[in-house]
Amino acid sequence: MAIREDVIVIGGGLAGSMAALEAADSDASVRLITHKKSTLRHASGLIDVLGYLDEEEPVADPFAAISELPDDHPYSIAGEAAIRDGLARFDEAVGDTYQGDHTDTNALLPTFGGAIKPTARYPDAAAAGLASDSRDMLVVGFEELTEYNADMLADHLAAADVPFAVDGVELNFPGTYANDSRVTRFAKRLDNDEDVEYEGKTMGAREALAESVKPHIGDAERVGFPAFLGDDHAADVRADLERELGVDVFEIPMGPPSFPGMRLADRLKEAVDDAGIHISAGNPVIDYEADGDEIEAVIVDSKGREVPYHAEEFILATGGLVGKGIDSDRDGTVEEPIFDCHIPHSDDRYDWFDEEAFGNQPFAHFGVRIDEGMRPLDADGSPEFSNLRAAGGVVGGTDPVAEKSQSGISLTTAAVAGQRARERAAKREVSQ
Amino acid sequence: MSSKPHVIVIGGGSTGCGIARDLAMRGVEVTLVEQGNLTHGTTGRMHGLLHSGGRYAVADQASAKECMIENRILRDIASHCVEETGGLFVKRPEDSEEYFQKKLEGCKECDIPVEVLSAEEARKEEPYLAKDIDKAIRVPDGAVDPFRLCVANAASAEEHGARIETHAPVVDVLKEGDEVVGVEVEHESGPGKRVHREPGTREEIRGDYVVNATGAWAGQIGEMAGLEKEIEVRPGKGVMTIMNTRQVDTVVNRCKPKGDADIVVPHETTCILGTTDVEVDDPEDYPEEQWEVDLMIDTLKELVPIIEEARTIRSFWGVRPLYEPPGTGTSDSTDITRDFFLLDHSDRDSVENFTSIVGGKFTTYRMMGEDISDHVCDKLGVDAECRTDEVPLPGSEDFSVLRDYMDEFGIRSPIGRRSAQRLGSRTDEVLDYDGPNPVVCECEAVTRAEVQDGIEGSGSDLNAVRLRTRASMGNCQGAFCCHRMAAELYDEYDEETAYDAWDELYQERWKGERHAMWGRQLSQAALKYSLHGTTMNRDKDAATTDTVISDFTAFDTGVGASPSDGTAETAATDGGRRGGD
Amino acid sequence: MSDAQQPSDFDATTAVDEFEPVDVFPSSEDMDLRPGADNCYKCTSCDTSCPVAEVNENFPGPKFQGPEQWRLKRHEDVDIDDSILSCSNCMRCDDACPSSVPLSQMHNTARGEYVEEHMDKLSMEYLRNRMLSNYRTMATIGSKVPRLANFVMGLGITSVLGEKIMGIPSERDVPEFATETFRQWWKKRGGSKVSNPDKQVAYFHGCYSNYNTVEVGKAMVRVFEEFGYEVLVPKQQCSGTPMFANGMLKDARREAEVNVRELGEAIDNGAEVIASCTSCSMALRQEYPELFDIEGIEELSEHTWEALEFLRVNEDLGQAIQESEVDPQAFAYHAPCHARNQGLDRQAVELFRDLDGATIEDVGESCSGISGTYGWKSEKYETSMKIGAEMFDHMEHAEGDVGMTECPTCAMQMNHGTGYEIRHPLELLEEALV
Repeated sequence: MAIREDVIVIGGGLAGSMAALEAADSDASVRLITHKKSTLRHASGLIDVLGYLDEEEPVADPFAAISELPDDHPYSIAGEAAIRDGLARFDEAVGDTYQGDHTDTNALLPTFGGAIKPTARYPDAAAAGLASDSRDMLVVGFEELTEYNADMLADHLAAADVPFAVDGVELNFPGTYANDSRVTRFAKRLDNDEDVEYEGKTMGAREALAESVKPHIGDAERVGFPAFLGDDHAADVRADLERELGVDVFEIPMGPPSFPGMRLADRLKEAVDDAGIHISAGNPVIDYEADGDEIEAVIVDSKGREVPYHAEEFILATGGLVGKGIDSDRDGTVEEPIFDCHIPHSDDRYDWFDEEAFGNQPFAHFGVRIDEGMRPLDADGSPEFSNLRAAGGVVGGTDPVAEKSQSGISLTTAAVAGQRARERAAKREVSQ
Repeated sequence: MSSKPHVIVIGGGSTGCGIARDLAMRGVEVTLVEQGNLTHGTTGRMHGLLHSGGRYAVADQASAKECMIENRILRDIASHCVEETGGLFVKRPEDSEEYFQKKLEGCKECDIPVEVLSAEEARKEEPYLAKDIDKAIRVPDGAVDPFRLCVANAASAEEHGARIETHAPVVDVLKEGDEVVGVEVEHESGPGKRVHREPGTREEIRGDYVVNATGAWAGQIGEMAGLEKEIEVRPGKGVMTIMNTRQVDTVVNRCKPKGDADIVVPHETTCILGTTDVEVDDPEDYPEEQWEVDLMIDTLKELVPIIEEARTIRSFWGVRPLYEPPGTGTSDSTDITRDFFLLDHSDRDSVENFTSIVGGKFTTYRMMGEDISDHVCDKLGVDAECRTDEVPLPGSEDFSVLRDYMDEFGIRSPIGRRSAQRLGSRTDEVLDYDGPNPVVCECEAVTRAEVQDGIEGSGSDLNAVRLRTRASMGNCQGAFCCHRMAAELYDEYDEETAYDAWDELYQERWKGERHAMWGRQLSQAALKYSLHGTTMNRDKDAATTDTVISDFTAFDTGVGASPSDGTAETAATDGGRRGGD
Repeated sequence: MSDAQQPSDFDATTAVDEFEPVDVFPSSEDMDLRPGADNCYKCTSCDTSCPVAEVNENFPGPKFQGPEQWRLKRHEDVDIDDSILSCSNCMRCDDACPSSVPLSQMHNTARGEYVEEHMDKLSMEYLRNRMLSNYRTMATIGSKVPRLANFVMGLGITSVLGEKIMGIPSERDVPEFATETFRQWWKKRGGSKVSNPDKQVAYFHGCYSNYNTVEVGKAMVRVFEEFGYEVLVPKQQCSGTPMFANGMLKDARREAEVNVRELGEAIDNGAEVIASCTSCSMALRQEYPELFDIEGIEELSEHTWEALEFLRVNEDLGQAIQESEVDPQAFAYHAPCHARNQGLDRQAVELFRDLDGATIEDVGESCSGISGTYGWKSEKYETSMKIGAEMFDHMEHAEGDVGMTECPTCAMQMNHGTGYEIRHPLELLEEALV
């Protein structure tokens, strides 16, 4: 006789990891089933809560703005307390690797596209880059990379009237590289502080990088780099550079590939492991077994063999269109492939997009609609299942790209789904 | 002022570029003006089939013969634009045997080399052909990159002294009495290469003769010249759907009388499915419809079943400039002849020094250019022979794609091979690059060196760079390279120009990509939207959109930062680079 | 306790003949994997999971090697970029890709094509790779005279000759041959001690358990017998893993044909196939059907299990472990890349966490760097050790000073980098249960 888990979470991205952590915050046994690497690896690593309403100005205080959202917005359904719970759980999981929890106010950060973006939590590595900080800035770019030109990025920040002087410089990254060396190679050089040749001398990669930047610092009090300053030892890399340069060093979030995202994924995995959560990685959930409206097990395709995993409560955190938690077809189908949860959409695929690239994109709203327990709703507005909850990108009903709310929605829905699943599983155990 | 006669060619499609090259090689002074990029019109919006003539071998043998002759010439003079794929006319069980035999005989009568393949033989060459096909006829069809061909013709014309002005729409045809004496153009960003934000200027260009090679737009130019009789161009739109990869490496035609959705053309990294034919009123403004895309996939899967499961990355529409001579009264546009017509307005309308060329086919562009050039030279009393059938185009001189690219240029062989296939004999000149030469567009294997060469050739117009290099034309449709290409503009061009070019390219990519919005391409588009929206925040960029950040101090200034004391605001007034200028 | 129950009504034979599935990723024998590029949305998860690209600036990464290179290919193109030989076939890219691009299949096929079309068949590199891939042949000879072979291999002069002539790094200790192979032991033992026609498993021991780490094979037999299984040991060849990694697809196919036939017979008689090496189970389950078109190959794939996985799903292994105890010992566990690909990377840690006496610590997600034969090539040795550095570091920081892993070549690398003794989970399981 197999022992069932109390809670199974499907999907190991931000929402899945946080929902598992929330659910495990008691004696509940929790298993996280993940298939492939999550979209965290190519997301920027910033945790946005709410950046824009339908106004020209970015939102300064997201909590104050929530009341202006429509009633069917995930935030309106979950409520402000849930948003705060989600952030608190996140802050606890990531510890001092993130900042922003000292205030309700959004921070403004430069993106590698040159635009400035409001966000609620940011990696410690990005903290010195705040655009609301008035210290002068130098942006460093590398000829070996194509993602941005540092001078152009600096000019563009200036064009947004940032409250500081900003300059850019394009350099060669110390060491020898092929034309197509991967960005992970640059990061590894710094991570291991490997020896490189610089101006005829052999020295550590960190020192060589600092040496090449030094002549360009001028009056700048902080220097921004593309976000690949190390991987496992990122804090050491940054500390060494700061010591050599005598100014603050920060990373400009990039993606993909996104080291801030990968580091966050690593940190979350550690937290999940530390919490004693079981992890089954590498195989997809493809189906389920249910008794009426109650799911009894999910079926994992283990390289051609179908293996059921039983639990009291299930949390669906498989992502949206990018994370493959939602699929679509030419015939007008938009579906959630595991449980076939209802996803409101037009049957005419030409209604799914706007002609303007940054217009109001209906596809960005795709996702399940939820009740206050985060349970996906069917077309009639009733829960699809009594013990299935949704979190993260699979939840729709708003355009998180335009709002800059994706991560916040993930944390919030994960907090509620995790809490409810935990409580319900405990109740059932008592009743059984 | 040169003593040479000066001919103005309106239209930078294949015909216009072909005429410009021909005349320039004959010693005539040529100015070519084009409203958009080269190939802005029909040439840039076709499936890139280099006809063997097989498609016309039953219904229009004269055209078929011309196609075969020109096909052979282009393999020689435009080798870097042509891929010798070969073609198949595939018969399915339900297709008529009688027509198959007619096709076979017709090809033979038109000197098109043919070979009949059994189903097994055909499927051995093209494993993704349907299992239940009957047989096929092999013909020497090919694939051609129309843009590369036009650019090479224009470059050759320039080498022979011609002036090429793109983004210079004709706003008036200048006349003195009954004589056309030139054109007035509006340079979008001043003469020369297009640069965003350069102020527009107007210019009167005077010449001895004007050739109207504007295809579907010929009637509009005719009106400007005050022709009494309308030039009856009947534009017919056709859809082309682009697959992400090549399902076939041979042109696959359905062996049936004319019909919709009957051809798959391997084109560079992709296959192009074509097409439909629906008459439209305005060549600039017509509906692009879902049924047309669905028709391509649902019909052509009968020939190549994997197409149904395969990913499409975009669709585009072209407008055929079909010409119907007065009094023909054809009701179905698919019945209009594909032949071309030279309208000498002296004879037709008593307007001197002005000729229009209408109708015709891309494959025979060179021959059309030769006929027109003969006509113009005759009018101008120039005695010179056409040489465009024997002198290779720039880039098509001797070259080989089999090289040690790592050793010579430090790039991987598949990337080098792709680059050389695009650059032809210009490969060394372009790829021999000083400094790191990373790949900018990974889908299409375009390195910085080639992007920089494209910028040199076409200014800050990233769409033109795209057409020259294929950068941003792969499966990500610009998600990972629009910003990289824009970054390559910087230094030569300022930040504002680079961002304008970026936004323009980004929107242009979306225009076609939205017709592929399901399954994997929708997932790709959602990733693109997240990358440019969430990660880069370009949709709310305070420097380029309506969004503004008026008070930076209202936001988090970091841990331990003292409450705002106004210093940030002070900095704002004298800090920012632009503000301080 | 098992993590999951076998579905009662699962029957692999139903609903198979009713439709003809579209073969989106054809078998590599067609040599055209361009359709697989359709799945890629360029997210770089594969590149950032590649252990080679982060230490070798001359390796362009799996995205280029896989979907990009295939998409750029035209029918007549034969030149495969030689960087494919720098891929270690760890298959982490497969595990990373959210879009299910058949990356390792693309790499294996490209490598096969490269070796077939471009590699000088008389070159020392080719001969060396062929020898390394055909380890079984070498081991057969070695194990005939194990003491002599071990003695000769241990001589300094042999290492120097190996380095100079064959390009085998002298730093590596050639694995020691057991004085009695697993099959010899099995024969002497008189086969399985359990007879149970309803509970039979066919053991795929692979080369290492037969010739070198015989204790693993013995442990497998005893543990399965403890659960009441009759163990069969059919005739078998190398799984092909080292051959895939060296582009020797013809050799691999030859071996696969025997394995599919012999193991297929056991499956027909109701047995499930069990491997103790995660690369062997990976080969049988994933690479076989991807690379070859052999009658019965899909069936073999569907009936192959890794040893612990089988017991977790089909027996209450978790419960059995919770009720057992062993002498106090601490392990630094490394999950082989190929275990990760089968979703098995956590099972040893999560199972033995509950075993009284045992302490087990996962030393992280890094790759050991040896990747079978990869680290056995002089020109790859440095890369191999650079990749392994992170694992060595984590092992040394772990509490235990005994290593644990399922993969015999990972075990060699772990031992080579730290000097630790390395054990297989089955050995601990044997200690706990038998």
